[in-house]
Amino acid sequence: MSDVVVRCSGISRTYQEESVPVQALQDVDFEVCKGEFISLAGPSGSGKSTLLNIIGGLDRPDKGDVEVAGVKLNDLNESELSDLRLQKMGFVFQAYNLIPVLSARENVEFIMQLQGVSPAERASRATAVLEQLGVEGMADRRPGELSGGQQQRVAVARAIVTRPVLLLADEPSANLDSATTRELLEMLRTLNETHGVTIVAATHDPIVMSYARRQVNLRDGRIVEDKQNEAA
Amino acid sequence: MSETIVLEPVAEDRAASLLSVRIGWRNLWRNRRRTWLTTGGIAFSVLLVMFFMSMQFGQYAIMIDSATSLMAGQVQVQSSRYLQDSRFEDTIVEATPLIRLLQENRHIVSVAPRVEAFALVSADERSFGAQILGIDQAAELETVRYVKMLKTGSNLAGPDDAVLGSVLARNLGVAPGDEVVVLGSGKEGGIAALVLTVVGLLETGMADLDRSLLLAPLSTVQAGFGLGDEVHTLVVRMDDLSSSDRVVTQLTEQLPDALTVRAWQEILPELKQAIAVDKIGGQIMYWIIMVLVMFSVVNSFIMTVFERTREFGMMLAIGMRPRAIVAMLQWEALFLWVIGTAIGAGLASLLIIWLHDVGIYMGEQMEDYAKQFYMPARLYPGFSREVLTVAPLAMLVGTQVAALIPSLRIRRLRPIVALRTT
Ligand SMILES: Nc1ncnc2c1ncn2[C@@H]1O[C@H](COP(=O)(O)OP(=O)(O)OP(=O)(O)O)[C@@H](O)[C@H]1O
Ligand SMILES: [Mg+2]
Repeated sequence: MSDVVVRCSGISRTYQEESVPVQALQDVDFEVCKGEFISLAGPSGSGKSTLLNIIGGLDRPDKGDVEVAGVKLNDLNESELSDLRLQKMGFVFQAYNLIPVLSARENVEFIMQLQGVSPAERASRATAVLEQLGVEGMADRRPGELSGGQQQRVAVARAIVTRPVLLLADEPSANLDSATTRELLEMLRTLNETHGVTIVAATHDPIVMSYARRQVNLRDGRIVEDKQNEAA
Repeated sequence: MSETIVLEPVAEDRAASLLSVRIGWRNLWRNRRRTWLTTGGIAFSVLLVMFFMSMQFGQYAIMIDSATSLMAGQVQVQSSRYLQDSRFEDTIVEATPLIRLLQENRHIVSVAPRVEAFALVSADERSFGAQILGIDQAAELETVRYVKMLKTGSNLAGPDDAVLGSVLARNLGVAPGDEVVVLGSGKEGGIAALVLTVVGLLETGMADLDRSLLLAPLSTVQAGFGLGDEVHTLVVRMDDLSSSDRVVTQLTEQLPDALTVRAWQEILPELKQAIAVDKIGGQIMYWIIMVLVMFSVVNSFIMTVFERTREFGMMLAIGMRPRAIVAMLQWEALFLWVIGTAIGAGLASLLIIWLHDVGIYMGEQMEDYAKQFYMPARLYPGFSREVLTVAPLAMLVGTQVAALIPSLRIRRLRPIVALRTT
């Protein structure tokens, strides 16, 4: 468990957009090893999403270095960051994860098409991953015809079908009831334990924290606690 | 230490992938009302522009036909030197075989040979300068209209007959039955003298012609002016105006260099100019219509892009390139164009085909006028490549540009900002 997938050292991020500058992250050091399942916890505004976005190459720190899978993100331009996200990252957001006019299967195939995967391989991988997440019966439905939990499963399917080095989830359970949240988390745990998918999830949700094996607490843009979750 | 992963370049497939095209198509049907309004606008303007253009072209066809069939013909053959200097001796020699050659062309309906001379025409004490036309009466009747515009009397029949412009006849104080004497200089410098009997008077309504024209049989004029099988001009009637350019090119190659073949655009440059000026007027109207429609297309794309900002943010976040999203919107614009243009051009074609059969009645006054000048009393739409292509192609460019204007925003869109919009 010593393979480092993410290494953040001394990262700070200040938002200047408002009249008062907001320090979203202050001098954060953070590492993620291969195979971990981490929850980023903390009150609203503590910097969870900011950290997740910086790791995912969606945002840049004002200070500090970020290295993902051996690639220094600071050195990449926008197009290279875009390619990195496509090939190395899987994203699950709180909502609006899926393209509304594509079916579940097409959503999963779409990202592989962006990667240039051949049609035959796209089809077989999409079938496999939808099955794995228990939504094979919904393959031809569009997101609007799926429940919130089913949508999130398809989103996870879309995120992992590319075999990313890192699965990043921002409030994946925010729109789900607790039973559905547990089902989704069981899936994520299986992916983590049996398929070795590395997961980092930003969340307020105690259920999500209880499934994660490591919990990192943030407050005012700093890591205040970093603990292993023995119960998980 | 972590394994170092090199980013391999992503296939070009990304920019125009199949699913992007599908997304573009399906997005049209997310807001059906807006799509139908936009395509309706495109359809309406294509219909309008195609219809008006075809009516405009129909009108030009009538103008050209009536102007050329009056006297000038659609194509003329002359000696190149005659065309330059208008000297009597620069004739087309061996006219008869040349006429036969022209008649073999399947686009040529008839050929009227003319000898053109200036001479003094006298009756009793009065003399006037006149334009003498030696014509082949039968060929002339087949080719042009002015010979039919008799005020009194009849057309040429005998070898010594003459038909005079009505004003010339009045000036000379002659009527059908009277004799006139024609005096001019012949080809070899000798005196040309003819004594002709007036059989008919011509009233074309064109002051120049009515004041100066004297028609006499071709062979009489040739003999009188010392010409052999020679003429000055061959006036050609075409089966269809649209073939005149092609036939001119063909004949220019076929005939000796000493001869020049001209189409109506060169024979009647003022007509060509009048049409060009009128076309500009039409074009201004068409561009106004199209620009108005473009504004509505731009507007619809601004709304589309605005509404889908979060969706675009998600697409950017998962690694889709901005230009791939722009390409997707270009596909949407293309589909809008296809639908709108298919409907507009389809309706316009039906309308044009129907009017092509029945024509548009232009009113009683026009009918009288038309009858008088042997013109069609109804206006028929014209079909041409321009009618079929200008509006659709302008719309194609317009919709692509209209989609591009708002989608340029996407290039500056940052995924996390887009994902935060509500
Ligand atoms: N684009 C932005 N412009 C301005 N301020 C921002 C922006 N994004 C985040 N912030 C601010 O930065 C701080 C950290 O935000 P962040 O979204 O990382 O918090 P969070 O822990 O994810 O909160 P939540 O639990 O509400 O999602 C907050 O004070 C927030 O208001
Ligand atoms: Mg957040």
